[in-house]
Amino acid sequence: MGGRGLWTRALCAALGFAGVPAFAHGQQNEARLGARRYMEYCAGCHGTDGRGGAKGPSLAGEPAASRSDDELYAIVRNGTHGGMPPFAQIGEASLTALIRFLRLLENGNSDSAAKAPQGPPGDARAGRVLYFGKAQCSTCHMVNGEGGFMARSLTHYARNRAAEAIRAAIVNPGHPLILSTRVVTVTMPGGKTLTGVLRNEDEFNLDLQTTDGRYHLLNRSSVLQVDYTDQSLMPRDYGTRLTPAELNDIVSYLMSAGGKKGVNEEHVQ
Amino acid sequence: MKCSPCYSPFSAKSAFSSPAEAVRAAAAASLLCLLSIGSARAQSPKAAVHSPTAGDSVGLVDVRQQDLLKEPVAANWVSYNGDYTGARSSVLKQVTPANAARLAPQWVFHPHTVSPLEATPIVVNGIMFVTSANDAYALDATSGKVLWRHERAVSQGLIDDPAQHHNRGVAVLGTRVYMETDNAHLLCLDARSGNLIWDVAYASGNRNYGATSAPLVVKDKVIVGVAGGDDGVRGFVAAFDAQNGEEKWRFWTIPGPGEKGNESWPGDLYLHGGGATWMPGTYDPDLNTLYWGTGNPAPDYDGSVRPGDDLYTSCLLALDPDTGKLKWYFQFSPHNLYDYDAVQTPVLVNASFKGRPRKLIVTANRNGFLYILDRTNGHFLFAKQFAQQLNWATGIDENGRPISAGLIPDEKGVKVCPANGGATNWYSPSYNPATRMFYFRSYDDCAVFRARPTAFEPGAGFYATGARLSNEPGKGYINAFDLEKLDFAWRDKQIGSYKGWGGVMSTASGLVAYGDDAQNFVVLNGRTGRPLWHFHVGQLIHASPMSYAVRGKQYFAVAAGSDVFAFALP
Repeated sequence: MGGRGLWTRALCAALGFAGVPAFAHGQQNEARLGARRYMEYCAGCHGTDGRGGAKGPSLAGEPAASRSDDELYAIVRNGTHGGMPPFAQIGEASLTALIRFLRLLENGNSDSAAKAPQGPPGDARAGRVLYFGKAQCSTCHMVNGEGGFMARSLTHYARNRAAEAIRAAIVNPGHPLILSTRVVTVTMPGGKTLTGVLRNEDEFNLDLQTTDGRYHLLNRSSVLQVDYTDQSLMPRDYGTRLTPAELNDIVSYLMSAGGKKGVNEEHVQ
Repeated sequence: MKCSPCYSPFSAKSAFSSPAEAVRAAAAASLLCLLSIGSARAQSPKAAVHSPTAGDSVGLVDVRQQDLLKEPVAANWVSYNGDYTGARSSVLKQVTPANAARLAPQWVFHPHTVSPLEATPIVVNGIMFVTSANDAYALDATSGKVLWRHERAVSQGLIDDPAQHHNRGVAVLGTRVYMETDNAHLLCLDARSGNLIWDVAYASGNRNYGATSAPLVVKDKVIVGVAGGDDGVRGFVAAFDAQNGEEKWRFWTIPGPGEKGNESWPGDLYLHGGGATWMPGTYDPDLNTLYWGTGNPAPDYDGSVRPGDDLYTSCLLALDPDTGKLKWYFQFSPHNLYDYDAVQTPVLVNASFKGRPRKLIVTANRNGFLYILDRTNGHFLFAKQFAQQLNWATGIDENGRPISAGLIPDEKGVKVCPANGGATNWYSPSYNPATRMFYFRSYDDCAVFRARPTAFEPGAGFYATGARLSNEPGKGYINAFDLEKLDFAWRDKQIGSYKGWGGVMSTASGLVAYGDDAQNFVVLNGRTGRPLWHFHVGQLIHASPMSYAVRGKQYFAVAAGSDVFAFALP
C-alpha cells in the first residue's frame, strides 16, 4: 500500500490539471518523491496544498518563487530563525526533490521557459466557444463558475503559466502526478465494476468519484479488486482532435479567464 | 454578478434539473471522458455511473426542496439546525439510553486553520460538509477523509468577532454548497468538487462588517446575515438567488430616515445601530414565514444617544421569505444596555399550550428569560426566568415587555446580571417531541457595565466603553424545560474548569448530546438528566452537535476545539 500514498484533492488543485507534461520521466519521479516528502515533512505547517497553514506561510507563490533553488535548499536544509526546523536529516535526494516540488507549487511547471513573458497566441473568444463546445473542456473543468466538476477549476490556471506550457498540458497530459486524479476500476463481489477517480485510499477505505459526481465510500474489505490506471480523465488526443490554431485559441481563452470580473479574486491565491 | 447558463451537457447539471436529466447527462459525460482515456477505452460507459449499491443514495449530493422540508431530522442533517424548525431533534434511535455507554470514537478530522471551530457539520447521503474559517471541506462521513476542500485565506483588517474568523458552517441546495466568509461574502461552491461557482460581497459601506454564520436556504434563495453589531454596523438580513447570486431582498434591522422606529436613531446613527443577524433563522413553510433574531443595539452600553426602544435590535423578526417584508416582530429587550443579542435559535414547536394545540416559538433569550410566542402573529404567551441571578428587570409584563430595574451603565459602573455574555448564547437549544422538553445551556454570571460617550470609528469597536465580569465564578447548566408543566424538569449543573460554549441536540430515543464544561462530549438521558456516556475530546467544545446515519449506522458529530469528532456504536 505504501507506494500508493494518500493524496488530498486539494493538492491536486494546487498542481497542474493534468500532471506535468513538460517533465522528462526522471524529473517526474523526482517531483513525486518531493510531493511525498512534502506531505510528510511540510504540509503540517504549510498546508496540504502549500498555501499556508496555522504555523507556516504560503509556499505557493511569492516569496518562494523569488528565491533561487540554492536559497530554498538552504532554508529547507538549515531551517530559519523564525522557527522552521532544519531538515538536513532527510537526505540530499529528498531535499532536491522537495525543491523541485516547491517549484511545482509555485507555478505548476518547473520548466524555466514557462516563466518567459508571452502574449496570448490566439483568439480568446473563439477559444471560449471551443472550450464550452467542440473541445468539451467544460465537461470536467470550470472557468469562472461555468463547467463541470470532475477536475479542477481553470479560472486561474493560466496565471503564472506561459502559453507554451498551457498548450503542452493540453496536448500531452502525461501521467497524473497527483494520485487523487487517477482513474481506477473497482470490482465488487458479484463481479460488478465501478470506474471512476480515486479521491482517497488507505488500507481500510476507498473513496471513488464517478463522473456523475457521486462519491462511492467503499470499505476495502468489501471490494474484490482495484485496477489502477496511471491516467486521469483528461483526454489524451487533443493534439489530433484540435488544430494548432484551435489549441492557441483555447490557450488564449484560459489566459484571459482569470482576469474576468464576476469571480472575486481578492483572496484567491 | 451572474453565473451564466452552462454549456456542456455535463455541467448543465446545475442545482435544479430533474433526476432523469441528471442520469442522461452523466451518462453522456462519462462517455465523453472515458472514451478518451486510453486504459478505460474498453470499459462500458455505463460502468462509470453504475452503483453497486443501487437503490441507496450514499455519496450522492443533490438536495431537493423535499429534503430541506423534511422534519424531523433523520439520516441527513441538511442545514445548520438539521431542519427548518431549529429543534435539533433527530428521529434516529439506534443509540438509546440502554446502549449509549458503548459509544466509541470513529474518526477525527483536523483542518489546519482557526480554533475553536464553531460549525455544525451538515451531512447529505454520507458526505459531510464542514467549515473552518473561510475553508470548506467535504468529508467521507464514515471515515473523516477529505473528498475536497475549498481554501480561502482569512481576511486581514477585520475587527472583533469576524477577526476571529469563526464560521458556523454551510447551507446546501442541489449540487451546491453555500457559505459566508469572515468578510461577508457569500460563496457558492460545487458540492461535488469544491470549485467556486460564484462569490458575492454582500456588505459594504462600513469596514466593520463581517460574517460568522451559516446561510439558510429557503426555496430558491440563500439567506444570510452579518456580524459586527458591537462595532457600529447596520444589521440586515439579505436573500440571494441560489442559482446566480443576484440579490433579491434586504431587510435592514435599523430603520432609515422616515421609517417606523427611526426616532431612536438621530442623524446618521441608524447607519451604526447594530442589530446584527449573526445566526441562521428558522422557517415555517406552512405560514411562509422566516424567523430571524437580531443582535444588540450599538453603541452597546451608552444608551443615551439612542432614545426609545431601538427597533429592531434584540428582536425576533417574522419576515416574508419571498420579499423580505416584515410581518411582525417581538422585542425581547427594548433599549438594551447590556449586550443582550436575541439571535438564539427561535425553535418552532407544534404542541399543546395550556390545553390547546398551538404553533409556537420557544426560545431561551440571552436576557435570562425563556419565552413562548404564538408564531402565527408574534403574540406573547409565556415567559419564565431561567437565569438564577437576574437584576436588570423585575419581571415580564402581560405583553411580554420586560419591567426595567433602571440599571444604567455609567462611568463608575453598575453590576448587572446576566453578564454581557448572556444567560444563554448562540449555542443551540433543542426541543424533543419525544420528551416534550426544551433543552438548552445556560450560564449564570454578572458583570460591571460602564459607559462613556464614544463616537463611531471605522476599524474600532462601538461599545461606548465596556463590561467586566464580576469576581464570583459563573455557573453553567444544561436545562430541561417541560412544555407541558411549563417548568423545569431538571437542571444539570456543569462541573468543570471551563465556561462551556457547546450547544445541545436530542434524539427520539430520549438522548441529549452536548459538550460540557470539562472538555467532554456527553450523552445524557433527556428524561432524567443523568449522564450516560462521555468522551474527553481534550479541548473546549465551542459548537453544537448533530447526528446522522450512513447505511443504517447512526453517528454523532461535533466540532471540538480545532477538530471534528464522530462517534457511533461499535
